[in-house]
Amino acid sequence: MRRLGDLEAEIMDRLWRWQRPATVREVVDDINEERPLAYTTVMTVTNILYNKGWLLRTKQGRAWLYTPVRSREEYAAALMEDALGASEDRPVALAHFVQQMDPDEISALREALRTVGRRAES
Amino acid sequence: MNAAPALLGYAAGVGFLAPRLLLRSAWPHRAPALAVAVWHGLTVSFTIAVALAAYHLAAPTEHLHADLIAVLHSCGLTTATATTAAPDPTVADRLAITLPLSVVLLVLGCFVFEVLRGRRTRSRHREVLDMVGRRSPHLCATVLEHDRPAAYCLPGHQPRVVITAGALRLLSPGQLEAVLEHERSHIAGRHHLVMAATQAFARVFRRLPLARHGKEQTSVLLEMIADDRALRRRSREELATAMYEMAAAKAAPVGAFAVGGPSAVVRMRRVLAPQRRPHVALRGTVAAAAAVVPVIPLLFGCVPTLG
Repeated sequence: MRRLGDLEAEIMDRLWRWQRPATVREVVDDINEERPLAYTTVMTVTNILYNKGWLLRTKQGRAWLYTPVRSREEYAAALMEDALGASEDRPVALAHFVQQMDPDEISALREALRTVGRRAES
Repeated sequence: MNAAPALLGYAAGVGFLAPRLLLRSAWPHRAPALAVAVWHGLTVSFTIAVALAAYHLAAPTEHLHADLIAVLHSCGLTTATATTAAPDPTVADRLAITLPLSVVLLVLGCFVFEVLRGRRTRSRHREVLDMVGRRSPHLCATVLEHDRPAAYCLPGHQPRVVITAGALRLLSPGQLEAVLEHERSHIAGRHHLVMAATQAFARVFRRLPLARHGKEQTSVLLEMIADDRALRRRSREELATAMYEMAAAKAAPVGAFAVGGPSAVVRMRRVLAPQRRPHVALRGTVAAAAAVVPVIPLLFGCVPTLG
């Protein structure tokens, strides 16, 4: 079964891809090409997204036009900053593969790789 | 006989000398899981020693057993023997129980705080991640549309392994699998709880060498444990080159503060030059020591009065 969060992501995904304001009807029609889903469901979830601060809306005629507040790339950049930023507290929340290094340390890494490579060849 | 001076001496040994000894030994990097156990054993031992010292300072004449009965008595938990043996708790007695208890509760409280704080940070992060990232069932990971090559994980409840599109472009399939396996083992090993424990101890005993070094070393050792797990599936070369590629691609600008950088160099040397695990006798001794060390302070408190 699909969860509410999945539908939220689906709606956001479409609005990000289209890169233009869209109505709930357009989103529903697009989803319905893959599977049946009630208009009211999508409307409710879109409203939730608006209330959570993911979407902006403007009135056009009788329908609302929805736009993402920020682009997908902007959110991704914020996540990266959150996960890999230089905060001392970070390791508690998130563990990441290699930490940021300065050029000296990177050349030390390269040196270590080269030494072992040479040893393997000989 | 009052055990307070002996306990304080022991605590000083554990808090100041033991970390120096551990830092100088070579075996911790060869048996990282054992080393983590030893750091934690010392931490627990230090906490108990300090708590008991506080107890003996506040109630120099009483012995722990008599007082425990007194506590049970004051709580209304009287047993047949307690009603006859227990004296009425005086102010000094109450202090003698409150002080050590508060030391222990402070450390435990900080641990709970760290765990909850971590969980809150992660769940906020995950909420945005689930919206923005793309789930890849093939990789068992969430792909984040970002050029900077990076990989990280959200451990705990509803865990996620995250890899950026930049990393996917950079790494070969073998390297990628090594990186993902490394992150998965952080999640499987519940490394965030281990980290939260050292973090909590460091919050209470901020300047103590045992706390400072323990925190740093634990984080490096946990990376080594994850590296070892990744090596079960992937070759040394794949893991090491993945480490290099990822580090080199996101170099900090010159002059910028490198966040714990040297650990990657140490890790990579370790991955590239396989070292045998310590001899089984050494491993056994160290494991036994890690298990026994938390109990040692209790002996200080009891043995002199028994004799």
